[in-house]
This record gives sequence, C-alpha cells and structure tokens, in this order.
Amino acid sequence: MKKIILSMMAICSIGQLAKAFCGFYVAKAGAELYNHKSEVILVRDGDQTFITMSNDFEGDVKDFAMVVPIPNVISRKDIQIADRSIFSKLDAYSAPRLVEYYDDNPCIIDFEENFINEAGGMQTRMLNPLTAMTSGITHQVKIEAKYNVEEYEILILSAKKSSGLKNWLLENDYKIPAKAEKVLEPYIKSGLKFFVVKVDLNKYNSEANDGFLRPLQIKVKTDKFMLPIRLGMANSVGEQDMIVYAFSKKGRVECSNYRTVKMPTGNNIPTFIKPKFGSFYKDVFKKKHKKEGKDVVFLEYAWNVTPSWSGMKCDPCVGNPPKQKEFIMAGVPWYENTTSQTYFTRLHVRYSLKNFPEDLFFIETPNKEHYQARYVIRHPAKGDLSCDRGVEYLEALRKRRMEELNSIASLANWDIRKYPDYVESGKIKSVVNESENKENILPFIFKDNNGGNRRYQPLMVVTFILLSVYLLNAFVRRLRSAK
Amino acid sequence: MKTLIRVFKHEINDPRYFQIIFLGSFLLFGISYLDWDANVLTYSVFIATALITQVLFAFFTTKNYASIKSGMITALGLCLLLKTGELWVASLGAFVAISSKYILRLRGKHIFNPANIGIIVSILLTNQAWISPGQWGSSMLLWFFIGAAGLMMLLKVSRLDTTIAFFLTFGLLLFIRSVVYLGWEPEVWWHQMSNGTLLLFAFFMITDPMTIPNHAKARIIWSIGLAITLFVASSFFYIQTAAIWILFFISPFTPLFDQFFQQKKYEWNTLNK
Repeated sequence: MKKIILSMMAICSIGQLAKAFCGFYVAKAGAELYNHKSEVILVRDGDQTFITMSNDFEGDVKDFAMVVPIPNVISRKDIQIADRSIFSKLDAYSAPRLVEYYDDNPCIIDFEENFINEAGGMQTRMLNPLTAMTSGITHQVKIEAKYNVEEYEILILSAKKSSGLKNWLLENDYKIPAKAEKVLEPYIKSGLKFFVVKVDLNKYNSEANDGFLRPLQIKVKTDKFMLPIRLGMANSVGEQDMIVYAFSKKGRVECSNYRTVKMPTGNNIPTFIKPKFGSFYKDVFKKKHKKEGKDVVFLEYAWNVTPSWSGMKCDPCVGNPPKQKEFIMAGVPWYENTTSQTYFTRLHVRYSLKNFPEDLFFIETPNKEHYQARYVIRHPAKGDLSCDRGVEYLEALRKRRMEELNSIASLANWDIRKYPDYVESGKIKSVVNESENKENILPFIFKDNNGGNRRYQPLMVVTFILLSVYLLNAFVRRLRSAK
Repeated sequence: MKTLIRVFKHEINDPRYFQIIFLGSFLLFGISYLDWDANVLTYSVFIATALITQVLFAFFTTKNYASIKSGMITALGLCLLLKTGELWVASLGAFVAISSKYILRLRGKHIFNPANIGIIVSILLTNQAWISPGQWGSSMLLWFFIGAAGLMMLLKVSRLDTTIAFFLTFGLLLFIRSVVYLGWEPEVWWHQMSNGTLLLFAFFMITDPMTIPNHAKARIIWSIGLAITLFVASSFFYIQTAAIWILFFISPFTPLFDQFFQQKKYEWNTLNK
C-alpha cells in the first residue's frame, strides 16, 4: 500500500501562523500529520554551524521521518538530542511584546510610579524545518553513515541522482511529491548529503517530553551559512512560517540574499488590544509582510546576551535572557569562554515557493545595536481630573487615543469604526478619513495592486521623467549639431 | 551675469552632478521605501569628513576645487554601502577614501576606487564596520531604477563597456552553473542577478573612470577578469561580500593595464569625450 505524503497546508489549518517547515513531510499510510510553524536555532562559530531543529510532530511516532540536506557527512559526536524547552525559553525571551503603563493623575501632587511591566509574548510555534523521508537503501544511494542516537535512527545518505534517491524512498512506500525530485537535484549536484531520521520505536519513551519528539541538534562544518528552505516548499501549497534564533560572537545575524526588515516597534496602541495582542500582532505581521513584497526576512529581536556584560538583556523582560545553561542547550560552543561575546538575533520569515526562489543565506555582522518589537498600551489616569492640569491631560489623552486608533488601522488594517467609544468623541469619522487619505494621495499611482511593487511606482515615474529629459536633450543637441 | 551663465553651461556638462543626484535619490529611496535606518548623523559625518578632507587636500596640492564633486560622490557611496554604529569609524572611512586619491597614485591616476578602499580599510582596521549584501533585496524594478540611472551616467562618460562585459560574463557563468549544471530554476538565477548590491556595484563602482583602465580593450579584459573572480568567490567559496574585496585586490592591476594598453586618461567635464 502506498503511503501518501500529505500536504502540510492541508493538515495544518489550526489558524494562527501559517505553517512552515524547512523540508517536506512524508507521512506513512495517510497518517494525520499535524505540525505548526518551524523553529530553528542557528549558532555560527567560524566555519561551523550548529543547527537545532524543533519538532512539533503530534501524530503517531512511527509515521515520523525527517530529511535535511547537509554539506558533508557528519560524525556521531556531531549529533545530539536537545531539550525541547530551549525553544520555548528563547521564544519567551525574544517574542514581540506588549507593555503597559499607567498614567499618573496630574492632579495628585505626590504620585508614585505606577509602572507595571507586563508583557504578553507572541507565541511562536515551531515548524519542523526538516522534512522527513525514509525508506530502505537501494542502488545509487549510498549510506554514508548510520547512527542510533537514543530514540532516533539516523542515516546519512549520498545520492548520485535525485531519481535514485526518489526510488530509494519509493521502494519504502513513500510517495514523494512530484516537485521534490526537481528540488533534490541541485542539492545532490552541489555535493550535499542527506540527513534522514526516523524514530526507533523500541527506544522511544512516550511519557517523557509529553509525547513530543525531542529536537535534534547537528554540527556542520561549512562556509555556507544557510538554511535549505527550498526542500520544505516542495509539497506545500502556500506560505510557511519559520522563526530563526541565531547566536553569533560578532553581532547581529541578517539574511544576505533577501532583505532583512525590522518589524514596527514602539507604537502606542489602544488598551483594548491587551487580550487580543496575539491576533493583533499576527495582523501586523501579515500587513507588513504584504507591504514589503512578501520576499523579506523580518527582524523581531536583536540583543547582546553576553553573560558577563552587565547591561540589561531585555527591556522589558518577557522571559529570562539565555544564560550559560541555555547556551549549552542551544549548542553554543563558546559558552565556557568568558571573554567571548554573544549576540542573539530572532528572525521571522514567511516564505513561499513563488517569493523565495533561493535558499536563505545568512551573514554575521558586527552590528551590536539592540532591537525589539515592542508595543505599548497606556492606561489613563484615574481619580479626579478636574484641576487645570487634569483638563489639559484629558485633552492630550483624547489626542493620544486617536493616534492609538490610527496606529492599529495603519499597522494592522483593523477597522477602528468598531471602537467608537474609545476616544469618547465624534471624531472617529475624521480619524478614519485621515488614515484612508494618507494612503491614497495619488490613487492612480499608488494603487495597491501588488503589495510590494507599490513602493517602486513613484520611482518609476521619476526615472521615466529623467530618462525622457535626457533623451530629449540629446536629441535636441544632435539636431543642433546637424545644422 | 554672463560669466555665471557660461560657468553654468560648462558645469551642466559634468556628469558628476548626475551621479550625485542618482546616488542621493538611491539613498532617499532606501530610507523611504526599503526600511533602511535613517542614520542621519552617520551620513552627515561621511559627507562632512569627505568634503573637508577633499578641500584640504585640494588646497595643499592641485588647487582644483571642482574635485569636491568627486568627494561628494564618494561620501554618498559610503552612505549607501558602509554600515557602522560608530561615528569615528564613519569619519575614518571617509578620510581614508578621500586621502587615498592623493596618496596612492601612479602615473597621474589614483589606484583605488575611493569608496571601495574606504570600506575595506574600515572593515579591516575596526571591528565596527560592515556591508549588508541584502539591503536592496532583489527585484526587476531595481534593474529599471539603478539600471536606468547607471545607463544615463555611463553614456555620458562613455564607460558602458565595463558594465556590459561584467554582466555578460558573470551572468553567463552563473547561469551555466546554477541553471544548466545544478538544475535550479531560472528564477534562482534571476534572483541573484537582480540583487541591488550587485547592480549598484556593476553600474556605479566598477565604472569610475579614474580607477579603471583607460583603454576600452583593457577595460573589457579587466571587467571579464573581475566577473570570473567574483563568480568563483561567490559560487565556490561562498563569500557573500566578495565584490568589494575583489575590486580592491584587482585595482592595483589597473596601472599595469594602462601600461600595456596606452590611452589618454579620462578628464572630467571636457568637451572631447
């Protein structure tokens, strides 16, 4: 009986973030594969990369399999099992956060600092970056190495042709997606090997780790600092999300073949967002992603996390900053060296086959600037505000609330007419009109037909005008010299 | 008044004004539309240091203050390419860039592209400078924008051959390897070819008439060599910032080319082009 590989998108429809993974999933016998976003920890040290891949697989473990292209054969000591909790720790530390402040009552002279830092982090889920495929070994496919790493059976395969690898998989009753063979070919031609994983049912302990599979961590030695996302897109039909937690000794890590763009930060947003921050941020991300052309990588957090550095590692702190224990779990090899600096970067990419033709390549930069995606709500002052300063405060509060409503309209396209009472005035209509007009100064030019291309349109007009002037000038000069 | 008009008519022929306008608009475009950080302070330091250094050197040497235009072009090139969080590094980069034009000379030409050497020295000497190869992204519209501006510039200075030779060689080699041999889709090749940093490099950095060979044939050979080296460095050694390093190392060979292929040196703003 042929085992069917199910599309990720067909199964992962829980809502929340679009599902993503760095490879393609192969399911045995039609099992329900349920996975969410993928999360990857990338540690770069010289020409070594330590990759830790989270695994939210929730089906039957005998159906689980994973395939990752790697640059060369790795040894047993380069493979480890990681602790799942590292992902939720890093996520909690670096997720976009909401902070709240309480305004002081200006009519009360002796006021205390009502400053409460409460942050609701954006739950990021991890997609399985690896696709799983496994089957028996046949001709044209060589088993370079075979390891048993606790509950995992690992094979390192090399293939001469993608058809050989495909046959190898097919012989084990895995129907690979039609597109996968095409994607495998460039990896094989580039001399990459394939890290193939499945679960050894005899050793698997379902009680440990709440039934989840433990993450795998591998060390690869390569000049290519990259993530092979193309394989993961082979059987998906839409967009996939991936969060990358990067560690470097030098500074911020950014993408070198796609733009790295910062998420909006520092915006004041209305107080009613508090219980809905998750869905709000999802909409902010969705809009920003579309506005930037759907082919960029987003920066959500970048900070110096060197343990010996005395500065604040977060502001505010949602989860604790990673320390030596977390460094060890993440695979940071320099954790014992007290003179080494450590910089942490969180990148969020929503990719699709159409918009991301290339695998993601990264570069370490000495950029030490701190950055975080942070949104602010301010609770109004309480009590008697009838004094002069109180009246001024109320007027400023009204203005601020209008700006807060504008914020959610411009950041996330939320319809602010649903919140007519928020500003306590009849100015809602003008607020709506203002924000609409800002985006439509010259509608026939700025028409938002294709998201990202919109930003180039005024430049096209300017360039066209310049070109025309230049050509006209050249033409006139030629005419003159002809005379 | 007549003198002013005469000066104006003379000045307007100087292609450097166009280059300043183009580079300035690239910078504005990047800040407004590509979400670059608007490091106004850093940009000011680049421009101020470059112009002051340029004026000082001109005062003590050639007394040709028209060279301030070249200084501005170098400053804008640094604003676009060199990233740093430290103002002193920006100052160092600009200073090295401009002073290299006067100190590192051979046979009446400066050896290194000033922005190029400014970037390299800043990266090597400090640990606070870098370039972002992905800062432009990749888009066909970048070809339109940077390409159109570049084309206008290069037609004016008659140096289109470098860019054409570079793109043809690099594009062909990359296509053969990526698409024909490895089997990637053509979109992958196109994504690499429409990278903004590559376009800026090809249209504005390897076309500086002062630092590329004088003779057309020499330029084409020089360009082809550059393209082949860049292809090897990026495809086999995965050096993502290879372009600026290769230009740096290949620049000292320009005088050699000028030795073998004799041709008059380029002069800004003369009537015979």
